Amino acid sequence: MPYHLFKCSETIPEREKHAVIKGEGEDLTSALPLGYLNTIPGTLSERGCAYCGAKHVIGTPMKDVIHLSHGPVGCTYDTWQTKRYISDNDNFQLKYTFASDMKEKHVVFGAEDLLRKSILEAFEAHPEIDRMTIYQTCASALIGDDMEALAAEIMDEHPEYDIFVVNSPGFGGPSQSGGHHKINIAWVNDKVGTVEPEIKSDYVINYVGEYNIQGDQFLMHDYFRRMGIQILSTFTGNGSYDDLRAMHKADLNVLECARSAEYICNELRVRYGIPRLDIDGFGFETMAGALRKVAMFFGLEDKAEEIIAEEEARWRPELEWYRARLQDKKVCLWPGGSKLWHWANVIHEEMGVNVVSVYTKFGHQGDMEKGIARCETGALAIDDPNELEGMEAIEMLEPDCIFTGKRPGEVAKKVRTPYLNAHAYHNGPWKGWEGWVRFARDIYNAIYNPIHELSLLDISTGEIPTDVGFVTRQMLSDVNLPDEIRNHPEWREYTGDYDCVTPLMDREYPDYPFTRGEASDGEKEPAA
Amino acid sequence: MAKKNPQPELTDELRDEYRELLLDHIMKKCLWQFHSRAWDRERQNENILAMTTELLCGTEVSPATPDERCYYVDAFDLARAYRNKFTWLSELSTDQIREVMAALKTKLDHVTIHGSLNAELTDAHY
Repeated sequence: MPYHLFKCSETIPEREKHAVIKGEGEDLTSALPLGYLNTIPGTLSERGCAYCGAKHVIGTPMKDVIHLSHGPVGCTYDTWQTKRYISDNDNFQLKYTFASDMKEKHVVFGAEDLLRKSILEAFEAHPEIDRMTIYQTCASALIGDDMEALAAEIMDEHPEYDIFVVNSPGFGGPSQSGGHHKINIAWVNDKVGTVEPEIKSDYVINYVGEYNIQGDQFLMHDYFRRMGIQILSTFTGNGSYDDLRAMHKADLNVLECARSAEYICNELRVRYGIPRLDIDGFGFETMAGALRKVAMFFGLEDKAEEIIAEEEARWRPELEWYRARLQDKKVCLWPGGSKLWHWANVIHEEMGVNVVSVYTKFGHQGDMEKGIARCETGALAIDDPNELEGMEAIEMLEPDCIFTGKRPGEVAKKVRTPYLNAHAYHNGPWKGWEGWVRFARDIYNAIYNPIHELSLLDISTGEIPTDVGFVTRQMLSDVNLPDEIRNHPEWREYTGDYDCVTPLMDREYPDYPFTRGEASDGEKEPAA
Repeated sequence: MAKKNPQPELTDELRDEYRELLLDHIMKKCLWQFHSRAWDRERQNENILAMTTELLCGTEVSPATPDERCYYVDAFDLARAYRNKFTWLSELSTDQIREVMAALKTKLDHVTIHGSLNAELTDAHY
């Protein structure tokens, strides 16, 4: 087994089985690190907690919901506004966060009265919102407040309200992934099947594991809508609470982030017979494959081919411009859980970069299986890395750019390694054809940012030199390119708009194809 | 439908070489083989590779249920990619294709199920 023990972790020898280097001729039966285990004491993990996984990752992208944490205000504050899951209702879920604000006295005397007051106050403050999720935290879990009973009481008193309770305290799992699991299962147990939706199309999907980071979902919705496919619900980016209660009525679950949402797809398959189709939304070839597969499920192949041809023609020249300038750059894919495998192969093939390392903060061994399988030989794979291991890997691999979260990313910048925010993006969306070009542009801008030249100047002694170090990105990227590449007649830089998703909200589409019966009247069942 | 001009012999060595090329494509391009539990991986591998084999052999596949349609789209996608990428497939007879695909199935099951180091595959719950 090609395990790798970092020098900085020699005092934590258990860490050795959490990193492997994929050697020549090795496969997953010989190269797979441990995963989804409790963080080893002594290692400075970059993971989040199970409460964060339930609330911040899965729950709060739902757009028409008051998201209330039953615990100290810090829990909700620290999981607020750090991820850009936008929505088409003026970003209610990003603007506000709610907490019962538990303090020491509530730990002693109980906090159910406080929670009741908080719930009612929040609903009264936002009369336009009548749906709520309540998230348990470590503090409220430890004192045993019965949140479900209280939620049931309030729903009896106010039938117009519907409340979903998530029991996923911070300590409830090795990482945020424990929270993903809990909220998936709780939602399918408690809420799916409690609303009968308005079916508008002959082709109906749930789009699952999509969090609308900087508008990813808007782009994907546009593709599906152009094919005449109704997205009944999105789990959960730009998702509506009541739409998600109706997931049982879809024909197909299209799954993007299997790490955070495969549980609900598996349960929907077992309980309601809805099949699960995994797709990759990042990359040209993968995006085309995804549309072709979904289209073929419904017999809409011609529609898919029209979109693929149109998007390819529009965006291929721009991807090629960046590909020529990113060739053989070394990158580390160090995201949370799923993007390491979404990107590992397609970024190498379509942007020309070499993936020298993958890591996952909270992924399971299944994520590492996909990531390692898609990497080229020699890649270093790390499970639940600590900060020192990240620094040692940067020294060892000398990447040109790493894609990771803000905390390790800011650390990398201190050693002059550019990073891109893999969780919330820099200038997303990054999905779909246009998104993939925007991702390439962000990588290009990161690697060739002139600040890296300026930062090498020592301005601590003498005059600040003004005649050296001032360059443009293209002066750096094009210096060794042959003329035929530099002046390619068709290739060009990104020409899309700064905001490429807002116009999609006003786009008009033909009516859905609908022949299988009269649409229901759209009335919802009374709140459970 | 039998292919024209079959190779005179598909040696074990050549079959294994083909198998590894086909496997590498699945591992780098597909996701269906990595469902989270062993029983799902068995179901996926069995159904998708069986349909892919039929498609490569020129046999019509008629999926009847939603589950079968889901297997079918992954199988069709795989068969299309194989035909585009591996031109040697068109030189094989249907028997030879079946032999290579059977070897592929055995190896894929080994890598993703029976020889897998993934400790979660046998977890009784999702």
